[in-house]
Amino acid sequence: MPYEDLFYWWAIAISWSSIFLIVVGIYLYTGSRKRSNLPANPVKLSKNLVFVWILLGLLVLYLVSIHLGSATLFAAGNIFVEAILMIYILKNRTESEQIPPS
Amino acid sequence: MIRPDELLSLDIDELFARLNTSESGLTSQEARKRLETYGYNELARKKKRTAIVRFLAHFRSPLVIILLLAGLISGFLGEVRNTAIISTIVLISVLLDFYQESRAEKAAEMLSEKVRTTATVLRDGVRQEVKLSEVVPGDIVSLSAGDIVPADARIVNAKDLFVNQSALTGESFPVEKTSASLKAKNSTITEWNNCLFLGTSVVSGMASAIVVRTGSSTEYGRIAKRLVARQPETEFERGLRRFGYLIMQITLSLVIFVFFINALFKRGVLESLLFSVALAVGLTPELLPMILSVNLSKGALAMSKKNVIVKRLPSIQNFGSMDVLCTDKTGTLTENRITLVLHVDAERRENEKVLLYSYLNSYYETGLKSPLDEAILRHQNIDTKCYLKIDEVPFDFVRKRVSIVVECERQRFLIAKGAPEEIVKACSYYELADNVYDLGDEPRKKIEQEYYDLSSEGFRVLGVSYKKVREDKAVYSFNDECDMVFLGFVAFLDPPKETATESMQQLSAAGIKLKILTGDNELVTRKVCEQLGFKIGGMVLGSQIAQMQDEALARIVEWANIFARVTPAQKDRIMNALKKNGHVVGFLGDGINDAPSMKTADVGISVDNAVDVARESADIILMRKDLTVLHEGVLEGRKTFGNTMKYILMGTSSNFGNMFSAAGASLFLPFLPMLPMQILFMNLLYDVANMTLPTDTVDEEYIRKPRRWDVGFVRKFTLFFGPFSSLYDFLTYGIMLFIFAATPELFQSGWFVESFWTEVLVIFVIRTRRIPFFSSRPGKWLTILTLSCVVFGTLVPFTPLGRSLKFVALPPSYWMLLVLMVATYLLLVEAGKVFFYKICKF
Repeated sequence: MPYEDLFYWWAIAISWSSIFLIVVGIYLYTGSRKRSNLPANPVKLSKNLVFVWILLGLLVLYLVSIHLGSATLFAAGNIFVEAILMIYILKNRTESEQIPPS
Repeated sequence: MIRPDELLSLDIDELFARLNTSESGLTSQEARKRLETYGYNELARKKKRTAIVRFLAHFRSPLVIILLLAGLISGFLGEVRNTAIISTIVLISVLLDFYQESRAEKAAEMLSEKVRTTATVLRDGVRQEVKLSEVVPGDIVSLSAGDIVPADARIVNAKDLFVNQSALTGESFPVEKTSASLKAKNSTITEWNNCLFLGTSVVSGMASAIVVRTGSSTEYGRIAKRLVARQPETEFERGLRRFGYLIMQITLSLVIFVFFINALFKRGVLESLLFSVALAVGLTPELLPMILSVNLSKGALAMSKKNVIVKRLPSIQNFGSMDVLCTDKTGTLTENRITLVLHVDAERRENEKVLLYSYLNSYYETGLKSPLDEAILRHQNIDTKCYLKIDEVPFDFVRKRVSIVVECERQRFLIAKGAPEEIVKACSYYELADNVYDLGDEPRKKIEQEYYDLSSEGFRVLGVSYKKVREDKAVYSFNDECDMVFLGFVAFLDPPKETATESMQQLSAAGIKLKILTGDNELVTRKVCEQLGFKIGGMVLGSQIAQMQDEALARIVEWANIFARVTPAQKDRIMNALKKNGHVVGFLGDGINDAPSMKTADVGISVDNAVDVARESADIILMRKDLTVLHEGVLEGRKTFGNTMKYILMGTSSNFGNMFSAAGASLFLPFLPMLPMQILFMNLLYDVANMTLPTDTVDEEYIRKPRRWDVGFVRKFTLFFGPFSSLYDFLTYGIMLFIFAATPELFQSGWFVESFWTEVLVIFVIRTRRIPFFSSRPGKWLTILTLSCVVFGTLVPFTPLGRSLKFVALPPSYWMLLVLMVATYLLLVEAGKVFFYKICKF
């Protein structure tokens, strides 16, 4: 692997950015739960934090594919995650609202 | 210059002589000369900077100075190409910024010209309207109720003149002014009753006056010189300033951190400095002032097409954020045209004789015609040829009625019209269906009850009575107003505007609560509200407010939406209470007494035909006194707000993320992840892509409700969306290093393209809340320019320009991975939006 001595530092940097994102996401989520005074529900929690699981999955994919230096694995993994994200987005699509004519 | 004691004591003729003018005023030629001598009639006129000064002002930014200096040093050390590229990029950025801002300023100036306040002066012996700023010493000005006093002046003649000079002296009540000379040498200006002062306004009466001092020589000018006349910041400006500080702090920490780390890794002090400053440039939303000016001026132009003129540009943001609109009833919800709606006998049956007699009374009355008289005369044209006027008993406030004596076919009649209770007092009979009856206690009570009922229904009511006069005499007096026959009532209403109901519904749908603040009585107000279909949430009277503590008022203003019989001071209290409760309050008014309330409100709104003092106090002028116009203006304000927020959110997410990853990379990479000139070039391209952001469309659901500046939301947005871009930057580093074994040049080229693609393309995702993002169509110019920039940025590494920026061509397999990576990134941000907007409301 080229630049092998840098891999460790790179892994820390990319993990740090995704973990930071996950922490911020969880922090915002708990803040909103507190504001709405809703009781904690583990099933709902895992469903609501689907986005966090996707992030973790992506991180693993990137670490492994880069470590192996496999562009194929990288491409296939990306396509798979994109499909999941598409489903998630379409399931959560918003209705385009219409303003009454003025 | 006239001394104060002379100003007070000189005879008018002497004053004319001293000021070299006459009763017919100055000639236009002389006025022009004096304008050159004395200057414009403006308080500390903001010096208009020349284009070159405005251009150079853009170089005042510390970051630009450091960049240019560092570039220069780099040139001295032999890197001449580096210096040239950095200087060119900085120059192009500044030129773009300067050009856009100049255009925006020009557009705003042209708009404010449309609502410029004027003064009536005598020039060449003819009355004419001139701009307030062009009034000169020696001008004779004519003033009437509602006018702003255009300069310090001595009164030549006055009739019932009362002036509000609270802005200058703090006196809360209007002061009477006359033309009489004074001798008080050492008196204070509150005693100068023959003088008028700039900035005060005429409450009632009329006058003509000779201008003695203008501009900064006036009393008001002296105060203004001491104070820095500065408009208070709007909520949006305040938020933006705090945001600026936040960015500044982060930038400063980042620059210091990156500089020291790089310098420690022995990358050279100069190179480290250039890199860290370039990073800081990338982080700073330096286009924000330009985006803001262009956005605001574009908003103002769009609003002007909808008959809304913006006098103070920053108020557009508040206009869009406004969630409570306080308005007077008269003229806004009603036509402000008293109309005769009923002419009935004592039992409320329509009666033509009542109309005829009230018409004759109004027609022949010679005193000042009231709006009620005008309404009667306007109602129907009646032939009065048969009736010859003999005499008149004028109106006075004791009798509260006016009588005329007319003769028709040798029969004389005394016809009285006035306050029903006073009319009835003069009657001994009443007439029903052409029959006359004695007015005993019972019918008198019935008439009084009828009057009460009509009033309760919100009508303004006058009584009409008559009597046949037997004596043939030339002069009649109030002693003749006895034993009259009560004929009936005429009732009036200020009818609601046809568009008012629809406009109120539109405002309500737009999330704006309407509150009516009126000096009128509760019965009339209730009637108008009923006719408009306006649901009364609660009605509070001025007398009740007078006894209320502020805490109680703060609770009441939330549910009550009608405030009747309120004074201007109480209007202020109501608005302050609403503001304290966290609302953004607008006030729409057109009267003299509305001016202070307009200043209290977050947005003062007036109409083009309002009195000068109201127009001057307003931030926004409606060219039509119609709430429909207002609604359209509010929507434009919200679009402006929306587009400004887009830039801020984008700047603090993608840009922010990119720069943080650059800082992170400099920690472990053996070379710079991007050269300073490459960072600057990318920043310039990104700025170009963002330039058409003010022309972008805004989603209908976004402008459906008022939005407010929320720094907390911006912070959350930055914290959440910033790391997405960092994640993909680090991923690019990984691909470049471990898959492509990139040289520094290849690495920098690869990251430049990835970073630029993600930074620019994410605009389409972040600009809307809609999921998926392509269900919201972006503006045509934004799409064209953004995609053009992406194409340009992609091709750059293959061009001579790219080579001079030290880019190299990228391998084909990288492009395939890049497309996949950017697609995942955009989808991930879109998924992040689903999550983020579920938990963070804005």
